Amino acid sequence: MTILRPLYFTRRAFDAMLRGPYVAFVGTATIFVAILATGLLAAALGGAERILQGWAGEVQISVYLAPGADLEAAARAARALAPGRPVEAVPAATALRRLADVLGEEARVLEGVGPGALPDAVEVRAPGISLAGARQLAGALRGIPGAAEVDYGNAWLEKLEAFVARAKIAAVVLFSALAVATAVLVSNTLRLAVFARRDEIEIMKLVGATDGFVTAPFLIEGVLQGLLGAGLAVLALLGLHALLVPRLKAAVALAGGLALRDTLPPPLLVGLLAGGGLVGLLGSALSVARTLRRMHGA
Amino acid sequence: MIQLFHVTKEYPGDGPALQDVTLEIDKGEFVFLTGPSGAGKSTLLKLIFCDEPATSGQLLLFGKNVAKIRPAAVPFVRRNIGVVFQDFKLLSQRTVVENVALPLEVRGLPDREIKRRVKALLRSVGLEHRGDKFPPSLSGGEQQRVAVARALAADPALLLADEPTGNLDPDRTLEVMDLLHGANARGTTVVVATHDRSLLERYKRRVVALDHGRLVSDGDSVRRVSAS
Repeated sequence: MTILRPLYFTRRAFDAMLRGPYVAFVGTATIFVAILATGLLAAALGGAERILQGWAGEVQISVYLAPGADLEAAARAARALAPGRPVEAVPAATALRRLADVLGEEARVLEGVGPGALPDAVEVRAPGISLAGARQLAGALRGIPGAAEVDYGNAWLEKLEAFVARAKIAAVVLFSALAVATAVLVSNTLRLAVFARRDEIEIMKLVGATDGFVTAPFLIEGVLQGLLGAGLAVLALLGLHALLVPRLKAAVALAGGLALRDTLPPPLLVGLLAGGGLVGLLGSALSVARTLRRMHGA
Repeated sequence: MIQLFHVTKEYPGDGPALQDVTLEIDKGEFVFLTGPSGAGKSTLLKLIFCDEPATSGQLLLFGKNVAKIRPAAVPFVRRNIGVVFQDFKLLSQRTVVENVALPLEVRGLPDREIKRRVKALLRSVGLEHRGDKFPPSLSGGEQQRVAVARALAADPALLLADEPTGNLDPDRTLEVMDLLHGANARGTTVVVATHDRSLLERYKRRVVALDHGRLVSDGDSVRRVSAS
């Protein structure tokens, strides 16, 4: 009998939603919008992070040497600092030739430019390295003998990384604000449901119902609306991913493409579902508690 | 079963609804509570039902001091009390069967037991053929019979009825009163608040009369009320 009570309360919650579909719809829609907005933000951040990692994976660190520095000694020092990574000593003449190759037909602008125009350099290729790792390695390479300047060519990535970090904080703040706003909205929406059923609550109290008995179906109703709203939001997010990512193919190609696990990883989807249920639960708990308090006070 | 000692109930801004009422109702009694509108009948029922606290005095219900019952325990006290109101207080969106089943669901009875008892209750009030109807589609008399069935569903020790026949024609009034008497005959203590003098004359039962919140008479005959 006790085991069957949750089933009884769930049945009553479903009955109530079927008898008052408008209120159930408004509650579900409110949670849907909040979870969709949160999910979009999280997916965009996830995608940006993935792109960031993808671009960072192409990192090549160049250590430009001061005139007269020992190129081979510098290369050895670089190999010691970056064990396992390809390190190449690039004399000034080689650098100039490579520049000419890159310029192609425009290479004539280099006529009259001698090898001394470019410094000797040590190039360290660091595929797969994170931006933070690249920054750390570049810092270490600054200490090799004869190093004049270190460039890892990703200043804009640093800016993007800083932006993503700030966006993450903004996302947490936004999600918190959205969660509170949604709980209040859902609470007010469910208050309509509770208000519409205050006679039922009064009669239940007359026949000896405890507060728990009165409250349980409303809580379940809140959770169901939360899960339904969040479920629909997750489906919408999956649909948007399928729709948008192919159109962003060119933009994300260099990052190796965007997979579903990058933008909408399973833990995020589960979190959104749980968040929806929790917001629904909190919203309904607030509204029922408020109504019961008023009834007790009356 | 019910004992009131110098009970007073005051509402802020109003005069006292009950003043210094001392009264005892024994187990198995049938008592009419009468008096004009505003006499304090409904207030007295509310105090007995633990809906409101007395301002002063003591009220013992089933031997327990009501003032000392914790709020969380009130629902369990109410499970021993059935209530019937003039306006029926039925759930319009639930069927007759669902309305009558409510007190049994609150008590957590198994579905099969609830069905069995609701069927028997509806048969006892002559509404077994109306079980799937919704209250608004029933006549006033039928709705009040549903309310009585709900009040009696859990075999309460005490039945409180506040103007149960106030909205009914004479024939329906007798039907409902017969149900209340039937419950009393089966051992339930019944307290009926009414200002319908014809009921007091028809049913020779104990009559407790209130006026302006004071108990003005308490006896076995309607004549004592008339004389007061």
